[in-house]
Amino acid sequence: MILTPKILARLVAIVVLAVILQLSFFSGVAVFHVSPNVLPALVVVLGLLGGTMTGAVTGFSVGLLLDCLIVAPLGGGSLVLLGTGYLAGLFRERFEIHSALVPPLLCAALTVFAELGFGAIELMLGADATVSSLAARDILIKGIYAFILGWPIYLGLRRLLRPALVEEPAVRPRRPTVLGA
Amino acid sequence: MYRKQVRRRRAVLALLIVGSFVLLTITYGQGSNGLQRGVSAIFSPVQSVADRALKPARDLVNWFDQTFDARGENNELRGELQDVRKQAVGADAALAENAQLRKLVGLDRSGAIPSGFDPVTGRVIARSPSVWFADVTVDVGSDDGVAVDDPVVNGDGLVGTVAAVTGGTATVTLIADHSSAVSAKVVPLGVQGAVRPNVGDPGDLILDFIDSAKHVHKGQAVVTSGWRGQGIESRFPPNLPIGEVSKAPIVEQEAQQQVHIRPFADLRDLDLVQVLTGGSRG
Repeated sequence: MILTPKILARLVAIVVLAVILQLSFFSGVAVFHVSPNVLPALVVVLGLLGGTMTGAVTGFSVGLLLDCLIVAPLGGGSLVLLGTGYLAGLFRERFEIHSALVPPLLCAALTVFAELGFGAIELMLGADATVSSLAARDILIKGIYAFILGWPIYLGLRRLLRPALVEEPAVRPRRPTVLGA
Repeated sequence: MYRKQVRRRRAVLALLIVGSFVLLTITYGQGSNGLQRGVSAIFSPVQSVADRALKPARDLVNWFDQTFDARGENNELRGELQDVRKQAVGADAALAENAQLRKLVGLDRSGAIPSGFDPVTGRVIARSPSVWFADVTVDVGSDDGVAVDDPVVNGDGLVGTVAAVTGGTATVTLIADHSSAVSAKVVPLGVQGAVRPNVGDPGDLILDFIDSAKHVHKGQAVVTSGWRGQGIESRFPPNLPIGEVSKAPIVEQEAQQQVHIRPFADLRDLDLVQVLTGGSRG
């Protein structure tokens, strides 16, 4: 990703808007008793579009802002989401996104990873409450929501950040040269 | 050139990871800090506007969820209605007697909120997104007299406590949060215990550390015990309704000294709440 001041401003606006939307809208709606968490999906998409550094830095920023606004211990959300963004970026750098299903699938898988990460951080900080089996169901459903929302998020962000993206030119199949024609 | 770029990336990544751990170490167990108060103060007007603007859209999505639920609940409620009708006759008589007794002792108050508390009504403007946290942000803060540890209730019962405040907002840790523990008692038995969360299921709380010699039964109400002694007292006033016993297997009571309770307040769908400011805590 080519970072210009304009693109940086767009990234900051995306992060702030996404966190506010998450806290004020997505966390307040429940379908099958589970609220979608779009923040890991957002970080995954930014990682897929910009690579490891973009993923990690935006993940850290989203986590920090989230921790500030929900008054959780600072650093927990940052650590989990920077890992999420980094993994998405690593995928982008190692593999090609050859199918339209890749971004939503990655959003779903890494949302589950992020939710488990939040749980691991809580355990690390010494939470001693019992955990209901419904937590596992909720995490899986959040993964499904991320799958559903992953593609529109990917398309929207790709459009917003298009000027900054390093697009590989589409490889067109070359016509075989007919010798002697 | 490429190696230099890789080294720089690794350095940034290491810095972010170390930064996260440093922040965790410094801020864990502090409640709120200056950065969080500052960020909350900046964003709370935006969150408040966003919350109000997005309420119709939120209600629309939730309507679908509630419609699914309502179908299942309908049959269940018909059965419950039969039982409640039978109980209502007895309850009416008890209420009349209760009103007379309250007047007699000068405690003619309509609600469960004890004297000395000044309820401040607030609206929930943000909710935590993860399964592991159960916090909400309300649009009243220290400017309205709200302080850390103030109990928070809604029309149904206890909701949580204030964990952090800024001028115009307060973060409420719900009773379903992993860090929550509320001293409570079962009425009318008086069995004491601590209400602990069952993380991931806000509709199921656990009344822990109960006296296994006294058997608790399904349907009995659980209220805050509001203990005090030797200069310290519970952060919750006594007799705030918390929930009712939903599962009370004898085996679990005797072996693990716990029963399950269903909170009266719908912790997944909070809108208006009251922060009980003041009180005798000091």
